[in-house]
Amino acid sequence: MSETVTLEPGGRRGRRATREPVDRHQALLEVKNLNVTFQRRGGRATRAVDGVSFSVKPGEVVGIVGESGSGKSVTSLAVMGLLPSRGVQVSGEALYRGRNLLTMGNQELSSLRGRDLAMVFQDPMSSLNPVIPVGLQVTEVLRRHEDLTRQQARDEAEDLLRRCGIPDPRRRLGEYPHQLSGGMRQRALIAIALACKPALLICDEPTTALDVTIQAQVLELLKELVSELGTAMVMITHDLGVVAGLCDFVNVMYAGRVVESADRRELFAHPRHRYTHGLLNSIPRLDSPRGEALRPIPGTPRDTIAWSKACAFAPRCQFADDDCVVDDLELAPLGAAGHRVRCVHPAPEEDK
Amino acid sequence: MTSSETVSGPAPSPPPAPGSDVLLSVRGLQVHFPIKRGLVFDRTVGHVRAVDGVDLDVRRGQTYGLVGESGCGKSTFGRGLLRLEEPTGGSVIFDGQDIRSLKPEALRLMRRRMQMVFQDPLASLDPRQSVQSLLSEPLTVHGLSTADAEEFGRDSSSSHLAKAAAMLEVVGLPRGALAKYPHEFSGGQRQRIGIARAMILNPDLVIADEPVSALDVSVQAQVINLLEHLQDLLGLTYIVIAHDLAVVRHISDVIGVMYLGRLVEEAPSDDLYAQPLHPYTIALMSAIPIPDPEIEDHRERILLRGDLPSPANPPSGCRFHTRCPYRQQTRCDTEEPVLRDLGAVAPGRRVACHYAEEILAGQIAISDPSLQIDPVAG
Ligand SMILES: Nc1ncnc2c1ncn2[C@@H]1O[C@H](COP(=O)(O)OP(=O)(O)OP(=O)(O)O)[C@@H](O)[C@H]1O
Ligand SMILES: Nc1ncnc2c1ncn2[C@@H]1O[C@H](COP(=O)(O)OP(=O)(O)OP(=O)(O)O)[C@@H](O)[C@H]1O
Ligand code: SF4
Ligand code: SF4
Ligand SMILES: [Mg+2]
Ligand SMILES: [Mg+2]
Repeated sequence: MSETVTLEPGGRRGRRATREPVDRHQALLEVKNLNVTFQRRGGRATRAVDGVSFSVKPGEVVGIVGESGSGKSVTSLAVMGLLPSRGVQVSGEALYRGRNLLTMGNQELSSLRGRDLAMVFQDPMSSLNPVIPVGLQVTEVLRRHEDLTRQQARDEAEDLLRRCGIPDPRRRLGEYPHQLSGGMRQRALIAIALACKPALLICDEPTTALDVTIQAQVLELLKELVSELGTAMVMITHDLGVVAGLCDFVNVMYAGRVVESADRRELFAHPRHRYTHGLLNSIPRLDSPRGEALRPIPGTPRDTIAWSKACAFAPRCQFADDDCVVDDLELAPLGAAGHRVRCVHPAPEEDK
Repeated sequence: MTSSETVSGPAPSPPPAPGSDVLLSVRGLQVHFPIKRGLVFDRTVGHVRAVDGVDLDVRRGQTYGLVGESGCGKSTFGRGLLRLEEPTGGSVIFDGQDIRSLKPEALRLMRRRMQMVFQDPLASLDPRQSVQSLLSEPLTVHGLSTADAEEFGRDSSSSHLAKAAAMLEVVGLPRGALAKYPHEFSGGQRQRIGIARAMILNPDLVIADEPVSALDVSVQAQVINLLEHLQDLLGLTYIVIAHDLAVVRHISDVIGVMYLGRLVEEAPSDDLYAQPLHPYTIALMSAIPIPDPEIEDHRERILLRGDLPSPANPPSGCRFHTRCPYRQQTRCDTEEPVLRDLGAVAPGRRVACHYAEEILAGQIAISDPSLQIDPVAG
């Protein structure tokens, strides 16, 4: 991971949250065989998440990357117990310090959510309270977790907003969410999530709506959080560049399943699944030589087959053949330690 | 009307003569929006200076890429060229003709030569219109081009249908798509339809505003390739507006970087990445994530503080001075830099920074070390 950075010289470093001691080598969150099926009344059941497993250790960033509709948000909402209660079936386990979040009572879960677990959502407006000033939303969280006077909480909130890249934070404290720009709202939301110094932070596309220069600020802040406080982080994104710079371990999702998972260096050096491989080849890169045509993946993520029949990527894969028409392809170890691939004809290792 | 501040330095070069290889020449373009207040009488209390004095030339057959952060005026610039937004100052010379002086009928005729592709072109259109009617609408308004009339016959519903079908094939959709409706297509297919609609009149210039940013990552490359293919096939000139610099760099010959209504840097595509000269471009380039951990771990990153200031009230002097990591005590806060040629130091490039030469030579360092994040070894 990257070195500790401090965005502001006056930033508070080294303050540790008072919580049960963490064992940095033991998984803090362990998701095992998570399944989520949506069933609308009268409609067909759709399996949005299909046997997803991953784990996160303290101080580690685990990435979930995939295209629109691949099941990234549903995975995180299921773990946090935030899916609607009707018309959804969830199975599997999400063990937080060994306790299953999926079967935990509502009260226990919501107290855990406010203290140990935090989430930054894709859509900031839906998760900020529109009638409460931003500052109060931050100080509320701070005071719930630490024994602070009102003034101390204000100071800390101001510091936090500043470190999240919000200019003129003292003035912003008194403003309502609608008075902030989209990017500023997203950063306010991140500030609220960081206020309780969560042990586990799930970020769902936290920077997608932000300009790259602001994104860079926010990503530095998140890195700092992970390395200073040992926060365990799940980073959901469709941006392979963000993954390359931030995540220790990466899960690539396609049509509800993890199709490839590896250490980030291994994944980018030796992408083996035909989807990952094709995707990395198709995107224009800032640093690659110009003048060559891109090599796109044909079709769209909507052209898919049920995993129970064949590889869901088969309709778009130029290597698809009869061998790929098997039910429930396995996510199997391949190559370097920890690298797993769900593909019958993986790309050769040297082929980047 | 507000007028642009007078700036020191050489005047921009005059627009090129008709028939030269410059197709579009923009000088001092301004698009200001009035800010209205008041319950009974609308009073104008100020102006949003969305585009505030842009000079640039686009050569025939080339692609000019325009980048910059959200709200810097990219879309307004594109719309201002076509007078979809009325410019409040400056000139737009298209193939020797001054667009701003055209009467409505002449403007209508001119528009067939300048078309626009939007982020999701069909999102704003009538969902009850079939693809066939979407594609033949521009033909009904403008008629077939001379070359197309030779190929498909005089203007009639059957010749329009034939042209629409041919156009669909060019963008890679089956003829059967003609009878379908926008919602029946994926985002990538909808963008193909939007492109077909823009190109069906054989325009000379196509302005594409975020043509791939609404698409899935795995579909973007298809549309980028299509745009490149059509450029070769039809001899088009493009202006591509996008916030994704990797995409822009891939398709553009020349890139202009906008900041708060102005161009701060312009350079050939390759040079811009190899050696950005304006402090804003330097920060922007360093912030763009590259999907390669080896590179990410060894890059120097320059952070910017704060947000884009309001275009209603741009900072004095250099507009970037409130966020510039290289800001100097003299000139930066008081004197607006002009977009100037650096001559032999960096041929073919223009930069709007007083200290570009010194920054390039490494004589000026970043004033606040906390804004510079050095690569981590290993
Ligand atoms: N409340 C819901 N009811 C029914 N289906 C849903 C619901 N929420 C999500 N889905 C479906 O689940 C699938 C996965 O959706 P999800 O939001 O997890 O995708 P994602 O990977 O987060 O995509 P994006 O990048 O667009 O955010 C999609 O097919 C979606 O239509
Ligand atoms: N019709 C309008 N009336 C008033 N202000 C406007 C209008 N259109 C745009 N603006 C303002 O002009 C500025 C430039 O907007 P513009 O849409 O051109 O930016 P952009 O660079 O295209 O941004 P994005 O990347 O978000 O599309 C913004 O501050 C915007 O709010
Ligand atoms: S299993 Fe077959 S269809 Fe699926 S990605 Fe691998 S080669 Fe392609
Ligand atoms: S003129 Fe000054 S403030 Fe503006 S970009 Fe150059 S160094 Fe920075
Ligand atoms: Mg999502
Ligand atoms: Mg725009």
